[in-house]
Amino acid sequence: MALARRTRRKETGLAALMLAPSLVVLGLFVLYPLGKAIWLGHQRCNSQGKACKSNGWDQYTDVLRSPEFHHALIVTAKFALLTVPLGLVLGVGLAVLADRYLKGIGIFRTIFSSTVATSIAVASLMWLFLLQPSTGALARVGWITRLFPVIKTGLLNDKGTALTAVAMSSVWANLGFTFIVVTAGLQSIPRDLYESAFVDGAGGWRRFTNVTIPMLGPTLLFASVVLVSRAFQAYGEVDLLTDGGPQPQGSTTTLTYLIYGNESTIRNNDGLQATTAVLLFVVLLVLSAVQFRSFDKRVHYAS
Amino acid sequence: MPRKREPGAEPKRRFSKREQGTIASIDSAGRGWRKVGRYTLLLIVTFVVLFPVYATVLAALKPGNQVLQHPFVPEHFTTDVLRTAWSQGNLGRYLLNSFVVAVIVTVAQVVTAVMSAYAFAFLRFPLKALIFAVFLATLLVPFEVTLVVNRRTVDSLGWLNSFQGLAVPFLATAFGTFLIRQTFLQLPKDLREAARMDGLGHWGFLREVAVPLVRPTMGALALFAFLSSWNQYLWPRLITTEENMNTVQSGLKLLATADVDKPNLVMAGTLIAAVPVFAVLMIFQRQLVRGLTAGAVKG
Amino acid sequence: MRSRTMKRLAIAGTLAVLTACGDGGPILQAGNDPAPTTPTTPTLPQVTVPPVTAAPGETLPPTTPAPTIPAPTTTTTPLSDLPACPVDALAAASGPVELTFWHGMKGGLEDSLVKLTDEYNASQAKVRVVLQNQGGYEQAIDKYVQSSESSRPDIIQTPEYAVQQMRDTKSFVPIGACMQAAQMDTSDFLGRALTAYSTEGVQWSMPFNVSNPVLYYNRRVFEVAGLDPNTSPLSLEDLRSVSQTLVASGAAGTGIGLDTGFDGGGGWYIEQWFSKLGELYTDNGNGRLAPATKVFIDNPKAVELMTFLQQMINDGLAFNIGDDPSGQGVFLKMADSTSPSAMTIGTSAALGTVISVLDGGLIPGLTGADIGVGPMPGPGGAPGVLVGGASLWIVDGHGDEKTAASWDYINYLVSAQSQSTWAASTGYVPVRAGALELDPLKTTYATDPRFKVAYDQVNAPSDALTSAGPITGPLKQIRVVVARAVATILQGGDPQATLTQAATDANALIADYTARNSD
Repeated sequence: MALARRTRRKETGLAALMLAPSLVVLGLFVLYPLGKAIWLGHQRCNSQGKACKSNGWDQYTDVLRSPEFHHALIVTAKFALLTVPLGLVLGVGLAVLADRYLKGIGIFRTIFSSTVATSIAVASLMWLFLLQPSTGALARVGWITRLFPVIKTGLLNDKGTALTAVAMSSVWANLGFTFIVVTAGLQSIPRDLYESAFVDGAGGWRRFTNVTIPMLGPTLLFASVVLVSRAFQAYGEVDLLTDGGPQPQGSTTTLTYLIYGNESTIRNNDGLQATTAVLLFVVLLVLSAVQFRSFDKRVHYAS
Repeated sequence: MPRKREPGAEPKRRFSKREQGTIASIDSAGRGWRKVGRYTLLLIVTFVVLFPVYATVLAALKPGNQVLQHPFVPEHFTTDVLRTAWSQGNLGRYLLNSFVVAVIVTVAQVVTAVMSAYAFAFLRFPLKALIFAVFLATLLVPFEVTLVVNRRTVDSLGWLNSFQGLAVPFLATAFGTFLIRQTFLQLPKDLREAARMDGLGHWGFLREVAVPLVRPTMGALALFAFLSSWNQYLWPRLITTEENMNTVQSGLKLLATADVDKPNLVMAGTLIAAVPVFAVLMIFQRQLVRGLTAGAVKG
Repeated sequence: MRSRTMKRLAIAGTLAVLTACGDGGPILQAGNDPAPTTPTTPTLPQVTVPPVTAAPGETLPPTTPAPTIPAPTTTTTPLSDLPACPVDALAAASGPVELTFWHGMKGGLEDSLVKLTDEYNASQAKVRVVLQNQGGYEQAIDKYVQSSESSRPDIIQTPEYAVQQMRDTKSFVPIGACMQAAQMDTSDFLGRALTAYSTEGVQWSMPFNVSNPVLYYNRRVFEVAGLDPNTSPLSLEDLRSVSQTLVASGAAGTGIGLDTGFDGGGGWYIEQWFSKLGELYTDNGNGRLAPATKVFIDNPKAVELMTFLQQMINDGLAFNIGDDPSGQGVFLKMADSTSPSAMTIGTSAALGTVISVLDGGLIPGLTGADIGVGPMPGPGGAPGVLVGGASLWIVDGHGDEKTAASWDYINYLVSAQSQSTWAASTGYVPVRAGALELDPLKTTYATDPRFKVAYDQVNAPSDALTSAGPITGPLKQIRVVVARAVATILQGGDPQATLTQAATDANALIADYTARNSD
């Protein structure tokens, strides 16, 4: 008994030692700032973030009810709806397409996963070069502008197309990631499942819907969680492509851009920025919970 | 209707290697006209995926007075623009900064993740569930929430314009801990017992048994950490006030705003910024796939 | 699975919106106790000084002639209350003093600044200036206000809209103190440039790069349309008739391309037009007699102006470029292959770049020589514009030697010779008259009068408060708000209603800023 207790104590000490580095970093750079941000969220500070005074906790509910927050939340949700499902479909499509034994398939796989190497800045600048109204490469090609006049005025300048254009660049940039994840998922599906389905007389499409998709459940959950959180935190692409515009509609003013954007009216307003950022956190929490719950059922059902 | 075949009649080597494709459609792979169709489809997708890259490469290789003339026609090549972008954009220095930060972050994330994962997987200590829950909770905190406060922390530590400032906030992640812990938990239960019989302490077991067994997951975590660090956009812009401490992402933003009237120069910078990561990807692609599988299946 | 994800997402999204439902007020009012604030009742508790009788800027109806600057202004801060400027301290320095200078110059402008600074560093051994490009004015301001004192630079360049915000950090040695200590003769300086950066009777910062909006036009298109390529429209009526000629002749697809960016046609130009109208933009004498409490953006003349611009768009005489965040769109519209505009308004600081880019052949069929430059057109046709650009601030608290060294460097940058070089290579206006007598600017102005347009129009003498431009803490955010209003109007919104809303929003910004920064 005494020995066991000593071992226990020794293990506790060892655990503390092993956890210490992570706890220090996470504590100092995640938990402390989170707490501080939640606290700041009920305050107003001067333009240097000092002399903070309480403005009441109703600052949270008021921001939540403000038209600016609603607008940015809707833009962000639209952005997620434009990027996540399409990103998943394309990722699965490409992965299934490349998941064959064909000569040279390795080259195709490399190409499909290559956009994982493009950071948001790189991808956005590439698309900016293509899409800009006048210096844009696409606008310089006669037949393209004749076919799609909106390219001439600029997909990024048109209130109807700006968000979609930003979303396309984002989908492209994330395609490599989704492709790799789904490819990995496909490879972990036991092949005898396919064989027994084949023996049961299931055709290609039925094997896809009855074996591939259910077995990809956890993979798709992972990918969708990552894609949703990327969509809800999209900043770089908006910053580089549209500056939150076109105005006055603010067609691409996402939540992060509302907080930190160049044209934000709450810039240098630490209290309100914190309030809005914490609310973004809450939205993400709700979304993650919903995602996990909905996928959980599917995953269990599948296995 | 596909001709019925005995699955066993399939040539064995076709499915012997996982990389050679699983069998989403056992019957259809490799028949003539389908093969042509598949290749056509692959080529179309390749074209779409690579088109922005193609345009970038062309723009980066053209002089200023040619870049917008026929943007998609390969002609009038020069390497001058790449050279200018490299020197004027200070990209060598920025790439080095990004590389140093990414390596520090990668190594540290793997080490901190392995240690904390070991504690969660193999050690008994009070409040374990609570501490693990706290770890998991940090996984959901978006960086945007902590940004302003973190900038102040880094400033008060005197870490603006430093590698510490760029790297330290990312030295540990709950994601890494979670990933490695899951892999540890998959190891056979009696491994630890057997090791104890052999007189191995926790450190010995960690070093000689556990780590070698989870090496693929570590590799994947490393690559993931490297890419995440490399792709940081907002943070380096916030905490650098000295040009020399920019990373390649914030440096690209500088180049893009400064030389907005020189699209070929901006594209050349973009290309230079993309190539190193692409190289890393080529080298470590398989680890990435394997690690992400682990993350996907258990994450 | 996919549709399910989508459905879940949609449900979650609507859920969040639903919980957030209710007719909430604007985000700026969040958490504020409900107060019966109407946009027209300013509340500024800290302004206790009664306005001088000569300048009741805030009580005057906006259409009356603007008051002239009284000296001293109502709220005056004596220099003795502010950090001193020991200009002689450099002599005592043992080794070279190293200065960090945060600037926001981009592209060719940065190249010119680097060249000037290199020459300064090479010319003497006492001071070494290290330039740090912050990637734009906005980033420079942001990083400055967020940084602790020890992380701040020794000199910072910030734009004209940031005067009040910078002043409110209470972290600078006023340039006025240095001028006084050095007994500097400022008679040679461009008066308006100095005025732009002084409030409360204090010269806060040193004007360095002065720009203002000018009219850029395509001379060849003017010729094709049978117009004199050497004269450009000055009044709004001229602008309209010239545009009609251009469009009717088929020489151009549209007369003028207008942007709605906050630092262009949406915000900055509007302030210029107020000045041309002789109207105050804010109360309290454009915020120069006492802190501003409200804007006059919705006054009848502004409504008239906006209605005019809207009509130009509706008639196809003007083209709405949109936000144009890069500032390029307006110029590229002039080079558009199908429906080019013949004119646009842009900052004079772009002139050097525009000419060199066009001569470099980026845009097929348009060269630098094709571009003509005229004064900014506006209501009434009177010349005169506000000072734009940026000024240099000396950061306090880094020791006497650094202050003295900063002053030395700034003195060099605004010397007649430096300003001559600077203005000739960029298109900025020299801040002192002496620069015009020196090469290279002397030659440039003589051989290429396009560069002198900005100088002439900002040099038009006027000491009216309306010619000094507005000063208020959230001026940048107000520009954003006004820019959205302009964008709304150019897209067909009702001018009066839109401007009234913009005024309400702008006033809320001022109230919020004042509440946060008054202590």
